[in-house]
Amino acid sequence: MTYTDPAVVATIQNAIRSEQNYVYACGLAGAQLNGGARRRAVAQMTARQQRIQALASMLTDSNVPTTPPAFTPPTAIENARSARTSLAELNNALVGVYAQMAASTEGEDRAFAVAQAQDSARTAVQWGAASQAFPTGD
Amino acid sequence: MPDPTRRAVLLGAIATSATVVVGCSNSDQQPEAIEIEPTAPPEPDPNVLDELALIGAYTGAINAFPELRGTLGVIADQHRGHARELGATEAELAAITPIPPSATNIRPAVTELIKRERSAANLRADSTAAAQDPEAVRALTFIAASEASHVPELQDVRRTLKDGS
Repeated sequence: MTYTDPAVVATIQNAIRSEQNYVYACGLAGAQLNGGARRRAVAQMTARQQRIQALASMLTDSNVPTTPPAFTPPTAIENARSARTSLAELNNALVGVYAQMAASTEGEDRAFAVAQAQDSARTAVQWGAASQAFPTGD
Repeated sequence: MPDPTRRAVLLGAIATSATVVVGCSNSDQQPEAIEIEPTAPPEPDPNVLDELALIGAYTGAINAFPELRGTLGVIADQHRGHARELGATEAELAAITPIPPSATNIRPAVTELIKRERSAANLRADSTAAAQDPEAVRALTFIAASEASHVPELQDVRRTLKDGS
């Protein structure tokens, strides 16, 4: 479905921007991580770019946000530890973004948003965060 | 038999009020007897029941394996938060009976909890499809995500346990 309602468009644009930022953060983190963790970060860059494409398909071309040139994560990525922490925080923040999108969409698009919220929360724990009753980036 | 829920009591009160208003609506005539079908108790919310069962399962696992109290206690508290968000009362939470794990060893007991969490995450996600109120969708999405995140957390716990334990 292609959404034109401004309120719904805004929630999907927010999800796209958040994923674009996550892809950028994965690149920063990849430079600090080694072995399996680096491979995971690289794999997530690809997976999240696919998510962005899926989200963009719900909007008209003119409503799809352009990719920003850079992003500064709330937790600076300076070493392997801060890289994991930052990626975990960004994933937990994505849960709220997708919860908002789920609330403003229906059908398959709502199911998509819920599935991405679940995947983001799982990924946050895999990056070392403790689970939360209502995951947020805080 | 559990105490009536807050919802059931409220619905009963609403039905009683409706009778009084109808009875006083025509002061010139004798009030007519009006039959009102007794209000059927609301169907229990399967998500609330599932959260209460999850808390019981965690309590049972902690009772059987107190060494897991740290992680399992934190997750059980998160389920209490979910249950409250979905409308469970404090009386319902206080009345939860521990459900002992069917496994006698610790690793299979954790595996049981992982299966329960997967099932819970799926139920919560499926429930968002039928939810009408955006706030309910939002809450169910947060809860579905939280429960999905319990799976890798419990898998980490299981990894730290010795084989055969």
